[in-house]
Amino acid sequence: MSTPVLLEAIGIEKHYGKFAALGGVNLQVRANTVHSVIGPNGAGKTTLFHMLTGTKTVTAGRIVFDGHDVTREPDHRRVQRGIARSFQVTSLFLSLPVRENLRLAAQGVAPSAALNCWSPPTGPRAQADVVASVLAKVGLEAHANTPVGNLSHGQQRRLEVGMALAARPKAIFLDEPTSGMGIDDLEEMKRLIQSLRHEHTVVLIEHNMNIVMDISDTVTVMQLGKVLAEGLPHDIRSDDRVRAAYLGNMITGGKA
Amino acid sequence: MKKHTHFLLALAVVLAMPLLMQSGSLASEVLIFALAAMGCNLLLGFTGLLSFGQGIFFGLGSYTIALTLTRWPLPMPVALVLAVVVGSLGAAIVGWVAIRQRGTYFVMLTLAFSQMFYFVAYTATGITGGDNGLMDIPRPNLSLFGTTLWSLTTPWQFYGFVAVLFMGMFALLTKMTQSTFGRTLLAVRDNEERAAAIGYNLKLLKLQAFVISGAVTGLAGALHAMMTGLAPLSNAEYHTSETILLMTVIGGTGNLFASVLGSAAYLLLGDWLSALWPRWLLLLGVALMVVSLWMQRGLWGLAEKLWHLLVARRTPAPLATPTPDAQGDKA
Repeated sequence: MSTPVLLEAIGIEKHYGKFAALGGVNLQVRANTVHSVIGPNGAGKTTLFHMLTGTKTVTAGRIVFDGHDVTREPDHRRVQRGIARSFQVTSLFLSLPVRENLRLAAQGVAPSAALNCWSPPTGPRAQADVVASVLAKVGLEAHANTPVGNLSHGQQRRLEVGMALAARPKAIFLDEPTSGMGIDDLEEMKRLIQSLRHEHTVVLIEHNMNIVMDISDTVTVMQLGKVLAEGLPHDIRSDDRVRAAYLGNMITGGKA
Repeated sequence: MKKHTHFLLALAVVLAMPLLMQSGSLASEVLIFALAAMGCNLLLGFTGLLSFGQGIFFGLGSYTIALTLTRWPLPMPVALVLAVVVGSLGAAIVGWVAIRQRGTYFVMLTLAFSQMFYFVAYTATGITGGDNGLMDIPRPNLSLFGTTLWSLTTPWQFYGFVAVLFMGMFALLTKMTQSTFGRTLLAVRDNEERAAAIGYNLKLLKLQAFVISGAVTGLAGALHAMMTGLAPLSNAEYHTSETILLMTVIGGTGNLFASVLGSAAYLLLGDWLSALWPRWLLLLGVALMVVSLWMQRGLWGLAEKLWHLLVARRTPAPLATPTPDAQGDKA
């Protein structure tokens, strides 16, 4: 646990009218770790993700990423800082082939190229190396030319992670990557996330406790828009407050 | 070959019209509105933006060329370029404000601009001629240093001039849709949230699409004014926006040649039906319903389907069905 802090959120608040979805959240994510954020539905996990990735703006608080204050930067600017995300509900370019989805994601790091009205995306603009390596990582080589709308749910979930990978980010934010997945696909996704730690920092929202407890370096538990507890997976599993917040063995994944 | 299919199809239409039609003006009008529909298609079919502001850019083009040709001694090509510039500037302003919102509110903003522009044009009689519009717009020949290169006196001569410009624009726009920019627009059309999340500045992309759309539409408006010798208030009216949108949707979105089909179908059927039945516009409503309910990919989609049927019948044992079109399946 000696790696430097890559992302620091200080006193993050988000209000919708009078309702405080986030009431002052502090979070430190260390480089090259898998940091999971768990908590019951409505705890504010996805809202926190939106704040950290810039999908929505904070009401109060500060976000420092890789030494830069990114609090006021919109999401498309943060991509260039090395932040990439996947979505809880699959969000892809359905009419475009898998390869084109990844090419667009890879190109997004230097988005000024997208304003080029003259040259087609061939040669270096095709980002062939990045696309090929992501295709291999998420195991979709055989479907490179399939329109994304024709992929199975599990394949779309893997591409969802691939879209974030294609940006070659420092930090990758995964919002429930296994949602709606069958058992067969789960193991594959778990391996995929575990493998990311070497080159990236992973921030993960996940409901599947087996996965969280197996692959996380740090677990943050949220409840009602605040951080309830934080620590190693083992400590979290035996934390009384966490046990009380969750119903019974959900947190322990039946292993207790 | 496949890469140039649409260009060749457009060329075929351009070459066929003089052989099959009597009126050079009607043929010119088909190409002029095809330009405007392509401009609209760029926003609707490639970027996913339903703009009711197209009439503004068309009207701006008409007024600009009318003013330059009647009041300033500028060569005609310069006047055309000026109309293109003013059209794109107008689009930049409308776009800059409207893209601040998405969905319904975006549409409402373009509609508001459209109404405002109409009243400004109606009120500013000193510039636009108000209700009367601008009249007696000359149609100078294309000349260089006093030598006439291309006489534009007869309707078919003018058609030739429009046809050359049209094919040039068609080639440029095709190139644009295949460029990195064009391909990124498709991503914006498919999913704005994801496009922003992977690093794209949606406002910048949409603004550039608007400017290009305004340029083409301004050119169309200018050519229309040159053709009729008039820049009427109706060119700047909301109804013009509607007509351009209708042509685009009936032809089919997301494909430039489809806009040529849309313009041709609208104007030629209109010309034919109006002779038979003065209330023919009613039928247009029916046509729009048919397209909205059963053929969302427009006339182009229909033509493609028929073509596949034909090919399938000729090939004895089709091995695979043609690639399913995900775009068409999307609700």
